[in-house]
Amino acid sequence: MDIFLQQIVNGLTIGSLYALVALGYTMVYGVMKLINFAHGDLVALSAFAGLTIYTSIFADGGTSIVAVITVFMFTAAVIAVVGVLLERLAYRPLRTAPRLSAVVSALGAGLVIQNAIMLIWGPNMKIFPSHLFPSDIYHFGGIVITFTQLMILIFSSVLMIALYLFINKTKMGTAIRAVAIDQDAAKLMGINVNKIIMIIFIIGSGLGAVAGLFIGIYYRGITFDMGWMYGLNAFVAAIIGGIGNIPGAMFGGLILGLFNALISGYISSAWAETFTFMLLIVVLIFRPTGILGEKVAEKV
Amino acid sequence: MRILPRVAASVAVCALLVTAGSAADVIKIGVQAPITGKYANEGQSIDNGVRLVIDQLNAKGGLLGKQLEVVSCDDEGKAQKAAICARKLVNEGVLAVIGSYTSGATEAAQTTYFRNKTLQTSDGTSGSLTKQKYWTFFRNSFRNSDQAAFTATYLVKEKGYKNIVVISDYSGYSVDLADSAAKSIKSEGGNVIYQGKIKSGTQNFTAVLTKIKSMNPDAIYFAGYYTDGGLIRAQQQQLGIKADFIGGDANDNPDFVKLAGKSAEGTILVNFPTAEFLPYDAAKIFIKDYTAKYGKAPSSVWALMNVDGLNAILHAAKETKSLDTKTISNYLHTLRDFPGITGPVSFREDGERINTKFNIYEIQANGKYKIINK
Repeated sequence: MDIFLQQIVNGLTIGSLYALVALGYTMVYGVMKLINFAHGDLVALSAFAGLTIYTSIFADGGTSIVAVITVFMFTAAVIAVVGVLLERLAYRPLRTAPRLSAVVSALGAGLVIQNAIMLIWGPNMKIFPSHLFPSDIYHFGGIVITFTQLMILIFSSVLMIALYLFINKTKMGTAIRAVAIDQDAAKLMGINVNKIIMIIFIIGSGLGAVAGLFIGIYYRGITFDMGWMYGLNAFVAAIIGGIGNIPGAMFGGLILGLFNALISGYISSAWAETFTFMLLIVVLIFRPTGILGEKVAEKV
Repeated sequence: MRILPRVAASVAVCALLVTAGSAADVIKIGVQAPITGKYANEGQSIDNGVRLVIDQLNAKGGLLGKQLEVVSCDDEGKAQKAAICARKLVNEGVLAVIGSYTSGATEAAQTTYFRNKTLQTSDGTSGSLTKQKYWTFFRNSFRNSDQAAFTATYLVKEKGYKNIVVISDYSGYSVDLADSAAKSIKSEGGNVIYQGKIKSGTQNFTAVLTKIKSMNPDAIYFAGYYTDGGLIRAQQQQLGIKADFIGGDANDNPDFVKLAGKSAEGTILVNFPTAEFLPYDAAKIFIKDYTAKYGKAPSSVWALMNVDGLNAILHAAKETKSLDTKTISNYLHTLRDFPGITGPVSFREDGERINTKFNIYEIQANGKYKIINK
C-alpha cells in the first residue's frame, strides 16, 4: 500500500508540472484556436533563463527565500515578455491566415527558440545548483515527500486556483471568456481583443516559466531540447482534459502524471508513452472534446 | 538533340572539377561523435582531441608528406543520425573515422564504413560491435563482458552483497552491459532480485525506484549513462532507499557528480582508469596540451581512448607508408604494445583491444574520485 501511495505522490508531482504547462496550450487554443507548439520550448527557455538569473544575481551561491522568489519573479517576467513577442512576431501577422499557416509558424517559432537556447547556452547539459531549495525530506508513514515536491504541489495548486478565480470571477476574466466565444462580438462590445490575447500570452508563458524552473530545481539537469518532451506530454494532457478548457488542462495534467507513474511502476517505463497515447486515443474516441470538454460550453 | 553533346560536355567538366577537388593533397580524417545533445561534452571532447592530434601532426609536416584535415559529423548519439553521418563521411572520402561515443551510434554506422573500406575506431563497449569481425573496425576501449565479470567479482566476492538490482536503459550498450553483469553476478553466486529498464532522458525515475524500494536490495548496479545515473542516484536517496549505488563505466563523467549533488558521496564507479589516474607520460603531456588549447581538461577517459585509436591508425599508415585501408588494417591486427595515452595498444584479429584493466572509484564528499580496488 505504501508503494502504491508513493507512486501516487510521484505521479501527482510530475502531473502538476504537466498541468502548469498544459494551461499555456489550452488558454491560447481557447482564445485563438491556435496550437502554440512553441510553448514547450518556452518552458525550456525559462529553465535556462532562471539558471542564468540565479547565478548572476546570487553569484556567491547563497540561498534564501528572497533569492528564490526573486528568481521566480524575474524569470516569469522575462518569459512573459518573450511570450508576448512570440505572439506579435509569429502569430499576429497570421491571425486571418488559414489555420495551418499559424501552426507551421508555431512549429518554426519553437525551432527558433530551441536553437537560440543552444546557441546562447551551448549544447551541453546545464545543471541547477542543488541548494536552491532545502533538501528536507518528510516521512508520512511509509511515504516520502521531499521539500521540492511539496513546493511543486502547493505552488501549482495555488496558481491553478488563482487562475480559475481570475477567469471566472473578475471583469478581465469575463472579457477573456467573451473573446474565446466570439472575437467579433467581443470587439463590438468594446473589448480590446489584442490586449486580451496579450494577457493570455503573459499568463500562459508565466505559468510555463514556473513549470520550467520547477523542472530545473527538481530534476537539476536541463538540456536545450527538453522542451519537446514536456511540451508533447502537456499537449496530450490538454487534449485529454479538453483543449480550450482550463479545469480540463489541470485535470488532464494530473491524470497523465498519475497514469505515467502507475504504468512505469507496475508495468514498465518503456510502455509509459505507449499507454499515454493509447489513453489519448481512447479519450478521443469516446469523448472527442476531452474529458471535461462537453460539460463547459464556453471555451477559455 | 543538339543539346546532348553540350550536356555531356558540362557533365564531364563537372566530374573533372569534382575529382580535382578530392584528389588534392590532403588526407581526411572523419569524426563521428555526439557534438550536440545529451552526450555533448563527451562528443566535443572526442572532436577536440582528434583536432589537437591532427594540428600537432600537421605542424610537424603531416603524414607521408601530406597535410591532414578533420571532417566532423554530429550524430547526436542517435542511430538514425549515425547512419546519415556514415554516408556523409564516406562521401567525403575519409581514410578513417574516429567515433562514435555510444555503441548504438557506432553500430548503426559500422556496416557503411565496412562496405566502403573506411577504417573506424570507437570507444563503444557493446559486445555486438566486434561480432561481425569487420576488418575495418577497431575497438579502442574494452568489451562489456570484461567489465561485467570484473564488477560481478567485486560485488559478490569482495562486498558480499546478497540482493542486487540491475538497471539499464534501452540502448544497445546498456542492455548488453546489464545482461552480461546479471549473468556474471549469477555465475559468481550472487542473487539478481530484479533487472529493470529505465527510459533514458525521462528525468523522472521515481516510479521504478519506488518499486525497487519494496525489494530492499543491498546494491543497485546501473549500467547506463551519466545523464540518467546522476539523477537515479539523487532520486534513490530522496526516496530513502539505503542500497549502495554502483555505476558502470558510462557514469564516469563530471556531470554525474553535479546531477547527483550531495547524494554523489559514496557512489561507486567501475571504469577504466580515468584521465587523472593514468600513470603514463603520454597521458600527462596530452592532457596538458589539451587543457592549454581548449581551456579545460577532456571530460573523461573516452576521448583519450579514441585518440589512442587515431594514433594507432596514423602510426600504422606511417609504418606501412600506405594509405590503403586494407594494408593499414592488416598492420593494426598485428600491432603489439603501441605506446598509447591510456596504456599499451594491441589489437586482436577481430578488432578487439587487448589488455585492459579496471579501477573501482568511490566518490568523495568533495566530488573527487578515490581508488578503492586493491
